[in-house]
Amino acid sequence: MKFGNLLIAGLITGSIYAAFAVCIAVWYRVSNILNLAVGDFAMIGALGVDNLMRVKHWPLGAAVAATVGTVAATAYVYDRVVLRLAQDGRRRQEGIVITFFFTFALSFFIDGVAKVLFGTDVHAAPPLWSGNSLTFASGLHVARAGILVLAFAAIVGALFTLYIRYTLSGKAIEACGENYLGARIVGIDNRKYRRIIFVVTAILAAVFGILESPITGYTFSSGATISFTGFIAAAYGGFQKPGRAAVAGVAIGVLEALLGGYVSGQHADTLLYAILAALVLIRPSAMGLETAVGG
Amino acid sequence: MVTSKVTLGAARGAGGLPGRRTLAGPLTSAGVVVGVGVVVMALFAQAYVGSVFVLALTYAIVTAGMAVQIGFSQQVAFSQSVFMGLGAYGVAVLNTRLGMPSLLAALLVTLGSGVVALLLGAIVSRASGLALAVATITFPFIAVGFVSSASYLGGNIGMPLTGSLWPSASSTATAVGNGFITVAVAGIAVFVATRVLSSDIGLELYVLGVDEGMAMANGVSTAKRRLELFVLGSMFAALGGAVYAGTQLFVPATLVDATTELSLLMMLFVGGRRSVLGAVFGAFTIQYVSGQSNFVSVNILIVEGVLITVVLLVEPEGLAGIGMSLVRWVRRSVPALAARSAASATGAAAGGAVGGAATGAAPARAGNAAPALERSAAPGLQGADGDGPAAMTDGSWDAGQAAPDFRAAWQGRQAPQGAQAPQGAQAPPGGAGPAASMLLECAGIGKDYGALRVLDDVSLTLPDRGIFGLCGPNGAGKSTLLNIIGGSVAPSDGTVLYGGADMARLPPQERFRRGVSRTFQAVHLIAGRTVLDNVAVACLDSHRSSLATGIVRNRLNEARDKAMTALEYLGMRGVSGTDVSSLTLEGQRMVELARAIASKPRLLLLDEPASGLSETQRERLKQMLRAVGELTSVLLVEHDLGLVAATAEKIFVLASGRLVFAGGPEGFRNSEVVNSLLVGL
Repeated sequence: MKFGNLLIAGLITGSIYAAFAVCIAVWYRVSNILNLAVGDFAMIGALGVDNLMRVKHWPLGAAVAATVGTVAATAYVYDRVVLRLAQDGRRRQEGIVITFFFTFALSFFIDGVAKVLFGTDVHAAPPLWSGNSLTFASGLHVARAGILVLAFAAIVGALFTLYIRYTLSGKAIEACGENYLGARIVGIDNRKYRRIIFVVTAILAAVFGILESPITGYTFSSGATISFTGFIAAAYGGFQKPGRAAVAGVAIGVLEALLGGYVSGQHADTLLYAILAALVLIRPSAMGLETAVGG
Repeated sequence: MVTSKVTLGAARGAGGLPGRRTLAGPLTSAGVVVGVGVVVMALFAQAYVGSVFVLALTYAIVTAGMAVQIGFSQQVAFSQSVFMGLGAYGVAVLNTRLGMPSLLAALLVTLGSGVVALLLGAIVSRASGLALAVATITFPFIAVGFVSSASYLGGNIGMPLTGSLWPSASSTATAVGNGFITVAVAGIAVFVATRVLSSDIGLELYVLGVDEGMAMANGVSTAKRRLELFVLGSMFAALGGAVYAGTQLFVPATLVDATTELSLLMMLFVGGRRSVLGAVFGAFTIQYVSGQSNFVSVNILIVEGVLITVVLLVEPEGLAGIGMSLVRWVRRSVPALAARSAASATGAAAGGAVGGAATGAAPARAGNAAPALERSAAPGLQGADGDGPAAMTDGSWDAGQAAPDFRAAWQGRQAPQGAQAPQGAQAPPGGAGPAASMLLECAGIGKDYGALRVLDDVSLTLPDRGIFGLCGPNGAGKSTLLNIIGGSVAPSDGTVLYGGADMARLPPQERFRRGVSRTFQAVHLIAGRTVLDNVAVACLDSHRSSLATGIVRNRLNEARDKAMTALEYLGMRGVSGTDVSSLTLEGQRMVELARAIASKPRLLLLDEPASGLSETQRERLKQMLRAVGELTSVLLVEHDLGLVAATAEKIFVLASGRLVFAGGPEGFRNSEVVNSLLVGL
């Protein structure tokens, strides 16, 4: 039963990675920017709800609404002010500066604000479905929060897939990522899509944080780790393919759990990172991350 | 045609070549660092300022290397903190466990880390772009896992040293000695980094960073350069780490982790990623800011987040970029003011004064002639005011008038290296070679993209002189065929013989060195560099030299000289000092053409050179093509059928990946296939 329990734990962690990977990949597709602040939105979701309820004694619904609203507003303002100045002006920034550093700076900023607001202790939003782990006859244990996470990840994944496959605006998103100017010329407002997807993924990340925090607990600096794993999983999807990113996320979660359970608890992470790096280096071109030769 | 001679002569007289003193820049940069360092050390070695300065300078050693590797060449590898840790822990182990003096240990460890970087880099540098970033982003985490479980390195806490770089009984002497050693090391690091960047190899690295495909098409051995960059960045990081250990006397375990990596990146990008001095300045800025008042150090994350955002919004090239814009603005406004006053006083044209004042500056501006190519002269792109090169303004162009040396040198060019044809089979200048030795023979070329067959059994041969057209509707496979000949795409079937030798396994850079040169369908130029540098990219002799030779030798001016002759040949000397991004589309296409012919190629592949050009501009292009076609073999992919029919001696037509027509211009005009396919008759 050890394997079963590890597998379930891995699936839950993996679905978390997958969710953030999808958020990163979907937005990269429209904007060609990596959202390295996605984990920080999750952290704000978890710690914000916790703080409003525990310290300010707000009811759950109000706390969730206020926190998610704040995250959405932050994302909206960030896009309207910073990304607009960086991308929509006369000098459109491209390359590594815009790909990495603007959201990286946002991540720093959010962490700094969270440190001031929430302190440095580990906290978590209250579980939305409280109670002990569900135990099945066969000896499998499943945390209730884990089930919520899995369900939410599956729903979000399915919705994104349907949206991109079957709706016109989903197709438009694809076009934005393929060719910025080309998409603009045929009348697709990439700026609008960039903004909408950024805000939507920020909200989703915050909700994930609220659902997931009872499992792992968050501090003001947890966001970076989440963004990091999401980034890695998204990378295995070539940053462009949310579906592949989701699969990669789940696989990484399962691998991590199995390594922790069977090889060594202490070295599980190190080993995992080494495997992940090696996988990229075996065939660097396989992930489709290198820019094509022009011509 | 008559004005041509006159203006060309004038242009030649007006502009000097770029500064010859290639050591001046690197020495100045290093001098600034050493000068400031010596002053600070002399005054504040023991004070708090002194210790912050030494720590910042330690990081600056690392960021100087990052400016070359990450900023300039855009090889984003997150491996600096790991190598910094390697350097620091290496010195700590040698010093504490084996009793080796720190200074000697630092030297040994830096060299040793070069070997480690070479081994690791052989694997890592296979990846480029985002793949490289993804592969290396886990490195700090792996290093943390390793260090924290290694008890002989002090585990989670870190490792103390017993002796500093400058061990001495007196703490003053130690502080001063350590300070001066750090300053000296930083000075050397800045010199080496600046020297490499300002050399011909630096231009290679710049192109590699901007566009790897273009770099390969111009002969750059991208894989080798990527490995060398990884080694260089890693050795600088290890050196910084060694100095860190030898001056701080303690190696914290956090030195290898991701926060150090992030701080280093922040220093680089805030300071200015493409500038070595900027990267040094960035290290000081971040170190200074984080050491500031209580409020800042408590809220350091907020401050840093805002700082990065604001600096990068104002200028993607960071503080160095802001500084450069200021300098440029001052330079521009001061001579302009002088010129304006001179003009109002004498009534003479101000152009000469501007040109004269600018001659001393690095890029040759040549009196800003050739307004026709510059965007600022927008009204009527052909705007002929008489003071630009006639080649660009009077609608005609005469190769016989321009740069006879270039023409002669091109004509006398040897057969492609590695060609199996014996020496005697070479084409004599001006005449046609023996019919048996075709320059290019493509046989049975096919290309599949998955289930899609874009080229099917295409065969064509080209002799070593003349213009040959390649036409076909969109998607016919023209560009794919060009890419297969150029080497950026591998054919699924068929052979490509060049000078009698099979070229199939040669990468684009090898083909370029053997005389295959190309332009791209979309303009591929390096924005932010001058026309001259863009053309010089194709004239570099450094491809086979190692990066390290860039420290001792700089042949950039030789490349620029060669580039200038190509520009003269095309009558473009006047714009040589202009930033390519300020040129019109015609200007940019002409620069591409100049770059393509600057290496005096045996085979010139032109991908739609006329697209976007006006009728007059096409007329000029036609004349240039004819002149070039007398010197070399030109394969011209073009949608302008008139242009093709007027210039090409033989035309190939592709449709859905198959060759449907091959013949002379007469047959081309009258061919039913061609008319139904391309003209719609």
